[in-house]
Amino acid sequence: MTTITLAELTALSGRDVLDHLELEAAIPVVNGLQAQGDLIVIPHAMVEQTAVIGFRTWRKVPPSGVELLRSASGGNPHTLVADPYTCEWLPWPWDPTGLAIAALRNTSTVYLIHREHGATGIAPGTWVVRRQRERSTAGNSWSSSRRDVLVAD
Amino acid sequence: MNARKRRVEILRDSSVALARWQQAIRLRAEWLSHGLSCEPAERDAAQAAITKLYALIDAKPPEFVWVDSPAKAYELLAGRADAPIDLTSPMWTQSDMQPVAIRLASLQGQLRHRLEQRTGSSLDPPWSATGSSALARDHPEEALRTGVRLPEVLDVGVLDALRLSLRDGLAVPLRAKLGRGSNLLGWRGQHDAPWVAHFDIRRRLGMALLGPEEAAQLEMWAQIVRSCGWWWPLADICVVAERTSAVSVETSAASRHGEVRLHNATGPAVRFADGWALHAWHGTVVPAWVIEDPAVERILAERNVEVRRCAIERIGWQAYLDRAGLDLIAAAPDPGNPGCDLRLYDLPPQLWGTPARLLLAVNGSVERDGHRRRYGLTVPADLDDPVAAAGWSYGLTAHQYRQLLRRT
Repeated sequence: MTTITLAELTALSGRDVLDHLELEAAIPVVNGLQAQGDLIVIPHAMVEQTAVIGFRTWRKVPPSGVELLRSASGGNPHTLVADPYTCEWLPWPWDPTGLAIAALRNTSTVYLIHREHGATGIAPGTWVVRRQRERSTAGNSWSSSRRDVLVAD
Repeated sequence: MNARKRRVEILRDSSVALARWQQAIRLRAEWLSHGLSCEPAERDAAQAAITKLYALIDAKPPEFVWVDSPAKAYELLAGRADAPIDLTSPMWTQSDMQPVAIRLASLQGQLRHRLEQRTGSSLDPPWSATGSSALARDHPEEALRTGVRLPEVLDVGVLDALRLSLRDGLAVPLRAKLGRGSNLLGWRGQHDAPWVAHFDIRRRLGMALLGPEEAAQLEMWAQIVRSCGWWWPLADICVVAERTSAVSVETSAASRHGEVRLHNATGPAVRFADGWALHAWHGTVVPAWVIEDPAVERILAERNVEVRRCAIERIGWQAYLDRAGLDLIAAAPDPGNPGCDLRLYDLPPQLWGTPARLLLAVNGSVERDGHRRRYGLTVPADLDDPVAAAGWSYGLTAHQYRQLLRRT
């Protein structure tokens, strides 16, 4: 995909976004660390301890896209869309932080769409997608209930 | 059959399915409105239908006792020894000894089983994460056009959607609010719409041929859904609650099939005529104070993180920070989010249970009203740098997070 607007991308992918977002602006393609709400897309080189090579099989991204994350309330998904044969993805790569939900490798620009956050372009490369966490404040510091909780927007 | 002919056939099938789907959407809206109805009960209709069900199990017509809310019904039923509570109790193994409610439950169970066979559908379809169910959920029409069968779309777009709105979103929290002993065996009247709609819509779309007895009994249950609130059948009396007297709902941005969730920013989201009520913030059930009187002291003392978050959103993150008098530790520009700051605040540890700090950040994308939403995240107490705190939330160092190019 070459540079396109949010309106064009939503028409191509069938994934809609809220109409107050700037539909006619070109979607920036980012070659580096970027965040979309409670997700972050990290160059694999930055977090090499996250395993993206192994016995697991990479999957092709289908034309309808891949929902990387749907929020707890069944809410808005972050959907990865790509031209045919340009992107593969791997669910739940091993990650010491436990935050990685997917890895992807793409040979041309792919897009991450979210109904409220709009869309963002990801330049060719190998990437790790992580969720966001926060420190749980429930319970006492010495109890086993102390742990981090995942953020859902 | 050649390929061209087959394609024509798929097209014809899908246009029939699309037309039926449009009709199903209208019928779904009808059943949802029964579920959300705040009209006074149609007592005659409800009593007539319940009496017919009693007759089907050879029970005498009961005396009807009308109450304003499920809570009132519980007060009334609490003292009665014959209110069935425990389904496993051995005294009910002999069928002639079984309480009316147990026999009605069997009757309903048998009907549902027969209707499942007649319609070739299930009220508990196996959970699946197949591509077709995701497509049916997000893009039902596209799913139908590409060969996903209508029953699968109906499962997601009617049964699941109505259950989300009326069972999970309404009946379940109401039942939880009733508290101890809320397993009294009874029915939910208007909130039982989902299963009735599941079969009724298939019947009305001509997708199932029911026997006369099945059709007649389904209509009895349907009439109850259309006419009253929750009800509890006993041998001599039947306690029936009025419908809700006020329900406040919203459709979330994620709603694809007309799903609604409870929300009222200024009062109860559900109210019954006697004042029994339930408060909710964007679908999360909360104690009344969260909506009516969200004082900072209460927020600080609240241990449930969801409730606390709702209460803070209710007054707004900035207002909360101002009123709570939290100390600002540091602020720094948010990398990748030009013009926005990351602000790190100290939290009183004795009130939050765990030593933690609060990171206040600003959304990368604008809301419908043109503003960017502020949101708070709790982070470990040993972090002093707002950028390090933001990095921690993604498992990154401050150095790494500083390389953030864009936030949407």
